[in-house]
Amino acid sequence: MIQITATVESKEQAKALLEAGVDTLYAGGSVYGLRLPQSFTLEELKELVELTKEYDAKLVVPLNAIMHPEKMSHILSYMENLVEIGVEEVEVGDVGVIHLIRKNELPLKFIYNAQMIVTNARQINFWARKGAVKAVLGREVPYLEMKSLVKASTIPVEVLVYGATCIHQSLRPLVRNYENFIGVQGDTSKEANLFLAEPRKGGTHYSIYEDEHGTHIFADNDLNLMLKLKELYEIGVYDWKLDGIYTPGMDFVRIARCFVEAKEALENGQWDEAQVQQWNETIEKLHPAQRGLDEGFYNYDPDEVK
Amino acid sequence: MTEKRQLKRPEVLAPAGTLEKLKTAIHYGADAVYIGGNSYGLRSRAGNFSFEEMKEGVEFANQYGAKVYVAANMVAHEGDLEGAGEFFRTLRDIGISAVIISDPAFIDICLTEAPGLPVHLSTQASATNAETLQFWQEEGLERAVLGREVSMEEVRKIRENTDLEIEVFIHGAMCISYSGRCTLSNHMSKRDANRGGCCQSCRWKYDLYEMPFGGERHYIAEDGQVKEEEFSMSAVDMSMIEHIPDLIEAGVDSLKIEGRMKSIHYVSTVANVYKAAVNSYLEDPEHYETKQEWIDELWKVAQRELATGFYYGIPDENAQLFGERRKIPEYKFIGEVLAYDDATKMATIRQRNRFYVGDEIEFYGPGMRHHEQTVEKMWNEDGESIEVAPNPMMILTMPVTEPVQVGDMIRKRKK
Repeated sequence: MIQITATVESKEQAKALLEAGVDTLYAGGSVYGLRLPQSFTLEELKELVELTKEYDAKLVVPLNAIMHPEKMSHILSYMENLVEIGVEEVEVGDVGVIHLIRKNELPLKFIYNAQMIVTNARQINFWARKGAVKAVLGREVPYLEMKSLVKASTIPVEVLVYGATCIHQSLRPLVRNYENFIGVQGDTSKEANLFLAEPRKGGTHYSIYEDEHGTHIFADNDLNLMLKLKELYEIGVYDWKLDGIYTPGMDFVRIARCFVEAKEALENGQWDEAQVQQWNETIEKLHPAQRGLDEGFYNYDPDEVK
Repeated sequence: MTEKRQLKRPEVLAPAGTLEKLKTAIHYGADAVYIGGNSYGLRSRAGNFSFEEMKEGVEFANQYGAKVYVAANMVAHEGDLEGAGEFFRTLRDIGISAVIISDPAFIDICLTEAPGLPVHLSTQASATNAETLQFWQEEGLERAVLGREVSMEEVRKIRENTDLEIEVFIHGAMCISYSGRCTLSNHMSKRDANRGGCCQSCRWKYDLYEMPFGGERHYIAEDGQVKEEEFSMSAVDMSMIEHIPDLIEAGVDSLKIEGRMKSIHYVSTVANVYKAAVNSYLEDPEHYETKQEWIDELWKVAQRELATGFYYGIPDENAQLFGERRKIPEYKFIGEVLAYDDATKMATIRQRNRFYVGDEIEFYGPGMRHHEQTVEKMWNEDGESIEVAPNPMMILTMPVTEPVQVGDMIRKRKK
């Protein structure tokens, strides 16, 4: 049974995503969660929980930031609040948070997501023994590695199938520092639509922005694995994530709908290549114009990046 | 009279890219060194140790009561873990004091397949809170190297809430990202930053531009009256020499110096300085002061400007390499003392870089001994008077104006 998880930017979009057939909403507060399209208050998360119940879906709350002591001093009561409003599952990247969940025996399942450092089954199985119910795979794992990794993992492995890939997080305000130096006072948030171009590769467009977790840089192109879904399904990747941080509103919902239809086709044995090409074209059309799409590291030979 | 406070002595931990650097670092005061093995490390281009070399290094370290740690801090992909258990058992049997690991897969393998070999959590795991240390302590780890992003206040808070050993960086070049959370190199150059291939993409020059939804590119550096400078993430280096009391009072167990790729000149100088500072504070904390001489020494091996990382606030633009670089005087390592005859005041020296009669040179040795003098005369191995020492590793003798010791080093300022 394939599970599709999608980020959420508003209650309206959440409803539309659920209507479209998404299984899990991914939404939380920006204090503890990384690179979210929107930050929701506890009150709003409660509404999302109630909404998911209407659709027999669920909400996963990201608590995947790297936590410094100040945040750690509040996160236990925050997690208790999440339990109170009916949240059952969170996503964690900091070992300290896992420790708190275990030590306090919180009734919260957790998904392990430490971004680019989740790259082998032995590591995933270690966290499984500590209670992780699922692990989010680093985007730098090619298909051929995924194949043996998924087989060796004792818990489900979630793979990003659509959306932006973060490739760098610094706690330094890298854009602000630069702008201070050259004497500019610009907006450095996500809304400023800032990009970096590599030296001698002027056409490249790495998204960059700052928030309370520091500076985030994303891969040149966003990921789209629509054409690989059957392959993923065949090797046992049943958990697909859609990240809409750079794909706003209903466009994201329409893209999600393509993935839901693909899921249904796979589950019902009605996979049709022509149909898949059409979904892929739809995705390419709906994807923001100034952002590219590719298949990331998926097709790489395992020895290609050393 | 106040009673003398019991302060914990932090170890000075130095990098050692080769056996020679290991010996030098320990001779110059390092209480421990960290090295790389032939596999599982993050410095594919740093000199890495064979088991034979490790053995010799451990034997040498034992004579000084010093420790040798091995970094095995790569983040593994499928297939990379093969042989790791055997590797760790060999390290343990050689007498390595601990391994430095970031990937829980390796931690798991080491704890289960090489029991008795202590494990330190690498800075690559970005440990920034006490709960993380509590978790790893329960798993059986001995120490955690904190993320470079923790402030001094946070170090104190973490210390209050765990008794796992704490190691922090005090000197050297620093990743600009949260360690481990950067794959710029993977994506831009197909070199895996977490498997020893990092090509330092953060130090490149980029163009920063805004591109509104569906709009045209607008380059930030083309705005009105801005200074001409390309975007870079490159950070200045770290030096905590002026804050040794804070580190000791915070209860840190190990002070880590970065630089397995750095020279013998660097390793000897930096270990020497920090050991002197730690000794000085522990001897008499009330009257401690940072000596100008220490700072001067560190500048002699500095490659970039120096700052204090995240210890006293989020680094601003002054902690990044923008604009004109300050001119740092460069010093060259020119030789080492092989023997000294106190009766004749003659030193026997092995040349490591060319120098001439008439050069102003500086001898330095462990315990911050140093003196400057002019090269008045030199003789080669055949006793012939020479004006220049041109050949690498050649042996020569020369008169010295102050007593020196075997193992003392000689440097000269580059013109």
